[in-house]
Amino acid sequence: MFAITPNTLSAFLNSISKYIVLLMILLLGFSAILITLLENDYYQGVSFKIMFIHVPAAWLSLLIFSTMGISSIIGLVFKSPTAFTISRAISPIGLIMSIIVLVTGSIWGNLTWGTYWVWDARLTSMLILCFIYLGHILLLYSFDHFQKADFAASILAIIGLINLPIVKFSVDWWTTLHQGSTVFRVGGPSITSDYLITLLVSFFALLLLCIYWFSNIFYIIIENRRIERSKLLNQ
Amino acid sequence: MRIIKLNNQIKKRFIFLIIIFVCFSSSIVLISYSLKDQIAYFVSPSELLQMKDLDSRYLRVGGLVKEGSLKFENNIWEFEIIDEENQSIKVEFSKTLPNLVEENKGIIVEGRVLKENLFIAEIVLAKHDENYMPQSAIDKMQEDGIWRGN
Repeated sequence: MFAITPNTLSAFLNSISKYIVLLMILLLGFSAILITLLENDYYQGVSFKIMFIHVPAAWLSLLIFSTMGISSIIGLVFKSPTAFTISRAISPIGLIMSIIVLVTGSIWGNLTWGTYWVWDARLTSMLILCFIYLGHILLLYSFDHFQKADFAASILAIIGLINLPIVKFSVDWWTTLHQGSTVFRVGGPSITSDYLITLLVSFFALLLLCIYWFSNIFYIIIENRRIERSKLLNQ
Repeated sequence: MRIIKLNNQIKKRFIFLIIIFVCFSSSIVLISYSLKDQIAYFVSPSELLQMKDLDSRYLRVGGLVKEGSLKFENNIWEFEIIDEENQSIKVEFSKTLPNLVEENKGIIVEGRVLKENLFIAEIVLAKHDENYMPQSAIDKMQEDGIWRGN
């Protein structure tokens, strides 16, 4: 972690990016075929298929936030520029994922529950997660010096880690309109294996998309800093 | 000598972060514990029956639609909500039900208790569970005799 500079990480990501893209396209196509071929749910009919974008995006928004929080801790404790840059590059992807969760969840909710939005514990904590992402990005771009911005935004990311167990366990701790956990729950997944495989394939496709996106944002941040530095030197 | 100094600084920063995290998380835990009843989205019929001072209080009740109780008479939907403790409450609703409202399936109603054991709903929401399976899987389970649903 301490030997890796932002430049070496960026070079490494660039070197593997074409394999990531290839695998991502394969998995995206495979999951699209699987989703089309699947039988409808016995109770919800075809509307349950929105799950295959809603659930992977939800897992990813939580996963990205925990990555962001952990790299913020490493960045603050060990003063590691790589960790700070990772959390800076990953934050907009998490924001997009949480917006996808809220939008697809609203559509699904309108089809099944009969409402777009209610203020139950799961939906509200997910909205708060989305706002923490937004606040993190705003903090990152509201300072003149990126070191100060990284410090402030990292504190927010670490405090925001408290929200993750609340989002995950809100359906167990309180009564909610949102259904309970299907896959990661006590007693094993309550879903048939063909649905579960499709869910995992679409999750890995979306994960690879996020990694590819992350490597691009990371590269842009590094390049921008390099250009700024050379401008300062040439003055 | 330099390494020891660096380790001390790292330790200090780490303790600083832990203090921040513990302060904020304990405040969140205390807030959510004291708001426990408000955060809960609905109450079950048995909890409703234990409540006092219900006079025209706006609240939500959730449970399963009792088997054989869903009917449509005089432009009013009538059904009973039952919970795990077999307590039930009668509900009347005068608008369109969501598509997924069926007998033996989850439901949440929003409204007021009119009189003893009669609830006038203003909003009805269908609550589906976390089980997903195709009809063919259910047929197969019924053949094997391991299907425990309805």
